[in-house]
Amino acid sequence: MNVKSLVKRNYKKQPEIYFPDYKSSVFRAPKNKKISIPSNLEIFGPIFNKNIINKLDNDLTLNFSKNKMSPLGHKIIVHGTVSDQFSNPIKGALIEIWQANAAGKYLHQDDKNSAPIDPNFSGCGRSLTSSDGSYEFLTIQPGPYPYPNRGIEWRPMHIHFSIFGQSFGQRLITQMYFEGDPLINLCPIVNSIADEKAKKSLVGKLDTSRSNIQNILAYKFDIVLRGVKQTYFENRQEGL
Amino acid sequence: MKNSNKILDETPFQTAGPFLHIGCMPNKIKINNIYKNDLGEVPFKNKNEIEMITVEGSVFDGNGIALDDVMLETWQCDENGQFFEDNGFARFIPDKLTKKFKLFTVKPGLVENLDRKNQSPHICLSISSRGLNMNLNTRIYFEGDDLINDPILSMIKNSKGNIDSLVAKKIKKNVYVFNVFLQGNKETIFFDI
Repeated sequence: MNVKSLVKRNYKKQPEIYFPDYKSSVFRAPKNKKISIPSNLEIFGPIFNKNIINKLDNDLTLNFSKNKMSPLGHKIIVHGTVSDQFSNPIKGALIEIWQANAAGKYLHQDDKNSAPIDPNFSGCGRSLTSSDGSYEFLTIQPGPYPYPNRGIEWRPMHIHFSIFGQSFGQRLITQMYFEGDPLINLCPIVNSIADEKAKKSLVGKLDTSRSNIQNILAYKFDIVLRGVKQTYFENRQEGL
Repeated sequence: MKNSNKILDETPFQTAGPFLHIGCMPNKIKINNIYKNDLGEVPFKNKNEIEMITVEGSVFDGNGIALDDVMLETWQCDENGQFFEDNGFARFIPDKLTKKFKLFTVKPGLVENLDRKNQSPHICLSISSRGLNMNLNTRIYFEGDDLINDPILSMIKNSKGNIDSLVAKKIKKNVYVFNVFLQGNKETIFFDI
């Protein structure tokens, strides 16, 4: 019999849950240690059908524009692959993204930043990965923005990513940053991850070859979800 | 399988932040022109003939404040303990005024464990929000079910954990209350799955 299980999560490569430099974590991060349980139903998860995806869902420069007006800012391509920890590409992974506009403003009533909204940009997009695990978005370079934390601090330019692989236990929510942004190293949300290599893995790399072909700056961001292991157990009859 | 000798590191989490609705439930915040429906609005399609249950509650922070900027996601099997790829997933947020969430769903059946021991009916719950650097995973079990023989609950009880936080209380027919406490003396049990 084949039994599936998820690769154990390495918390040394993950952010601290309680990280006072990021003020919002102080009254929200649980204090008790998580209890480790064998994954069961969590090995499976929702699979999303491609008929939910519309043609412009991954084109944020057009999916909210009025009369084909372009959003302000410069266009960028964000692309990469989704694989598991064994380097197997994950087909049909759902990637949902959200981001601020070029001025650093979200189209959201709770965003108190005084920067202007862009009537042609919502910052909302999604895509399913192809059979080789690849995905691609066309969007606008998001601006950095100030937010209240320890006094006013600045978020580096970033895009939020939510990813469903094939298992509820593979669920990942993260943020992609942009190569060369000096705000990355100052950001307490980034610095909640102690491991330098893990931190760097969230930085989208400028992809010059791609940028030159399409006349649009391109960034590459590869995503690794937890691996699902198959272990073979011999079925032994009782009494043998 | 390529590079089978090398296991890659999982991409690290970052907080979903306060504006997750833009990407995960745009219609809820009046970004109406992009997706026809938000994902996970109903966990099961075509379940008209089956009695449904409501699970309602709030998510409280360490100050005892009920939060309205969290996102909850659930994954479960159907009334027969069967799971399907395109059913059983729901995504919802607390109401801005009442701070309460409501999940209208099918009461799950017994779940067959991978080692063939049944697990009591439960719903897997993931919570994401501003201030949470990673999502939190827990489970919703149901008052009135056999909670003694469940292997996970037994394991927690044996290590002197308080399983009350994992059990939705029945307040009337087909209505259960499940509150989540992120911190404090009633802190919910969260799992490393």
